[in-house]
Amino acid sequence: MSEPTKAYRDKKVVDALISKIKYESEKRKEKTKIMHVCGTHEHDLVKAGLRSLLPKNIDLIAGPGCPVCVSSAQDVDEVLWIADNHNVIITTFGDMMRVPGSTESLYQAQGRGVDVRVVYGVSDAIKLAEKTPEQDVIFFSVGFETTSCVTAAEVIRTNLSNFSIYSSHKVIPPAMELLLQRDDIEFHGYLAPGHVSTIIGTKPYEFIPEKYNFPVSIAGFEPVDILMGILSLTKQINEETPIVDNTYGRWVRYEGNTTALRTMDEAYVLSDARWRGLGVFPKTGHEISDKYAHIDAKKKYDIPELPVTDLHGGCICDEILIGKSKPHQCKLFNKTCRPDHPIGACMVSHEGTCNVAATYEEIIWE
Amino acid sequence: MCLAIPGLVTELLEGTRVMVDITGVRREADTSLLEEPLDVGDYVLVHTGFIIAKLDPKQAKEDLKMWDEILSN
Ligand code: SF4
Repeated sequence: MSEPTKAYRDKKVVDALISKIKYESEKRKEKTKIMHVCGTHEHDLVKAGLRSLLPKNIDLIAGPGCPVCVSSAQDVDEVLWIADNHNVIITTFGDMMRVPGSTESLYQAQGRGVDVRVVYGVSDAIKLAEKTPEQDVIFFSVGFETTSCVTAAEVIRTNLSNFSIYSSHKVIPPAMELLLQRDDIEFHGYLAPGHVSTIIGTKPYEFIPEKYNFPVSIAGFEPVDILMGILSLTKQINEETPIVDNTYGRWVRYEGNTTALRTMDEAYVLSDARWRGLGVFPKTGHEISDKYAHIDAKKKYDIPELPVTDLHGGCICDEILIGKSKPHQCKLFNKTCRPDHPIGACMVSHEGTCNVAATYEEIIWE
Repeated sequence: MCLAIPGLVTELLEGTRVMVDITGVRREADTSLLEEPLDVGDYVLVHTGFIIAKLDPKQAKEDLKMWDEILSN
């Protein structure tokens, strides 16, 4: 048995919500553009066919919501440099395997003999390290707050001399602020990610309406959840009363998951982070704090500066990631770059914007 | 990647572990990232083997009431 999700997929409720959204969106002359910053939102809303059900004057834009897609080639390169120069086993999530580095992916490196293993999570990587005391094990940790809080728990409680973590964690609210400061992307409301919000709560988004007069709505992932979030945004936009509206209250609390937040505070420090093709965004990453330097692969191994190539052969992932371009605008999309043969990072994970568009082949872009 | 899967707590195990039923599959999960105590019958969100949130049943009932309102006007 699982959460009673049926109610959140009810067709009658979906239809009623869509007509309410239509009513609200028709009050505006211009298009209402809503950006989400969550790969799971992109995947689930496309799978449910919501883009085609919504009125034409609502544009749902996919922002930088897929942690695998936003990770820089530099991270893959550095992990591979460690593997090439030390006796280590690399462990990571399956999604990371085919993410392109500057010259190769972990999957390609595995083909030439580098020991790379896919794990379900950090705990499995630790179990492997316990079994192989003669060999170093590195967990290549990628993710937003939902995932990185789990890694944080292990940073604090693990003390194995042959285990370390390469951190490529990102934090969402500061990245949302940076997008608001750009004048080359236009949108009117943020659909905030439900699962990240179970951890961080609703508070870290409050600066968005306060400082930028910009609406935010936290939404879950069932069709009714996503539409509730969109309805809230269309109303906020029309009434010019921006707030942080929590439409996922059954899981998200104002203060978030306080234990997870405390764990992250203890394990990490906020750091500048490199986003694929976009350069360094200040204070958008979580590095392991000095107190736990013994578990930090970046401190354990003396990694030299390596030249970085984030985008290959005309890939426009940098523009896809910030919602400036859509997949079909890339000349490689569904031609040389496909889910079974990804050239860019956005085509790798099933939550990557290009991968979702190619997989569902729905007419989702105008 | 930030996908978290809802499940039902079916058994409290030793230490920080509980058994969770996720759409018919029983799986152990770690509770050490959760402040609130858990009981058999609670709905939880599981992410890579850790429980990251507990369902607020009152709020879930409120949701259903809200659907009624949406359908009635
Ligand atoms: S289709 Fe492929 S190459 Fe083009 S932007 Fe997407 S991931 Fe990059």
